[in-house]
Amino acid sequence: MSHSTLIAGDFLSLLAERQLAPLRVESVSESFVQTQATTVFAFHFAEGVLMAGDRRATAGNVIVTDRVDKIIEIDSSSLLAVAGVPATAFEMARVLQTSFEYYRRSQLQPLSLPARVRALARLLRENLPMTMQGIGVVVPLFAGVDQAASPPKPQIYFYDPLGAQFQAVGYAASGSGSGTIRSILSFQERYGQPMPSQMKLGEAVRFAVRLLATASEFDSATGGVNPATDTYATMKVLKSEGVETVTEEQQKEILRG
Amino acid sequence: MTEEPYRWLEAIANRREYVGEQLKSGSPVLGASLPEGVLMLGVGSGQSKVFELFDRHALAGLGHPADIEKIRQAAIDAAHVEAFTRAPEDVSLRRLVGFGLSPQLKNNFEQIFSAPFLVELLLAELGEEPAQDLFFRLHYDGSFQTQMGGAVLAASQSEPEAAGQKWLKEALQGKSNRSEAAEVLLQTWWCVSENKPLTGQIPAEAERKAGWREAAKGRVVEIGWLARHNARPARYQAQTLSDLGL
Repeated sequence: MSHSTLIAGDFLSLLAERQLAPLRVESVSESFVQTQATTVFAFHFAEGVLMAGDRRATAGNVIVTDRVDKIIEIDSSSLLAVAGVPATAFEMARVLQTSFEYYRRSQLQPLSLPARVRALARLLRENLPMTMQGIGVVVPLFAGVDQAASPPKPQIYFYDPLGAQFQAVGYAASGSGSGTIRSILSFQERYGQPMPSQMKLGEAVRFAVRLLATASEFDSATGGVNPATDTYATMKVLKSEGVETVTEEQQKEILRG
Repeated sequence: MTEEPYRWLEAIANRREYVGEQLKSGSPVLGASLPEGVLMLGVGSGQSKVFELFDRHALAGLGHPADIEKIRQAAIDAAHVEAFTRAPEDVSLRRLVGFGLSPQLKNNFEQIFSAPFLVELLLAELGEEPAQDLFFRLHYDGSFQTQMGGAVLAASQSEPEAAGQKWLKEALQGKSNRSEAAEVLLQTWWCVSENKPLTGQIPAEAERKAGWREAAKGRVVEIGWLARHNARPARYQAQTLSDLGL
């Protein structure tokens, strides 16, 4: 952890002070097959941002589990979608959760959206040695409410593995199934009726589940979402008032309707 | 000079007197365990009396703002390091006060060449049920008392505090609603801070109601609510009088 990147009042600076660096680089043998998690995406809909992910984690050609939660509530106004190596991604989520809450409680004000976006970029940059070794690669998506906008508005950001951050205009996707997802979202945004940005919650949820089901037909690492077998996505909605979870039961109801 | 035992005792007694004098005009803070959560209340200048510490923990205090701030930061640091290195479920008020804040305060109070902390504190931990709610009454010298459930009061002097606490318990009987409880806490706050009797000739309810409203004019009633039934890990919500319909 580089001390030059620390800011006063930040939880990471407290960890550095206590010599509790959250991420460490370990060497591994070449035969090691790492667990990976895909596919996640986020798009703007009429009421905010919908973020969803499939449920599958793989290691090589082995399906490790079909019950992973890839959409993580960081705090009441931020969501993280993880694609890549779960071990690193979940640790990044934990650092962000503690860091944002620590800042809010200690400084008596929430961290600004630009600072939240950069906090994740910093974790990705600190993960650079593992990324360069081809292990521990994480390519997340982030959604947060911009409180400086009037009225406050949820925004979507995507990253490259080195930590570059980009704001998404309409949507973003990451992971091995993201090609399919991006193509459909692009098509729908250009020619669809309604466009994703005009969809109401029910329409957006139905669309999101179908996106994942379609992606799983072309990508073996995407799975665990199949309405026919009553398995649904991990899905959350970010509105200017905060985070809401769309449960499996709710997805089922919406798809039935 | 201070190596002589009686001099040290004298110095400590002088410090008690000094701290007591400094805290005399402090505005009391109060807490109550209710079926739906824990209510913490104080009257100050906004973000000066009642604070969130961690997911299920809150602090209310009176005294020097800089000292309250130091204690608050120490408690938040300790809670977050504990939660990060272990788990949020491992953060407990008993350990936070017993092994962290109390020894620090005691040590600081007895170091007679350094300035003592000018604080009186009330800390709360939300339990799964009201009977598991835990309050710590922490004093400037590091001593503390614990209480499960019920209602508590922290004031600058022990006699009005004891009288206020006794009355508060009786007055809160049968009041499970957050607004009703806040009204009782504010009446108690007014009686204790204005030196009104809480035994014998207690001011009438109408006088108490008008009293706290008049005394709170131009100040901020700071209300912290630890919600028992909340899906999010962070249970603390800052509330206003209008949120409670007062």
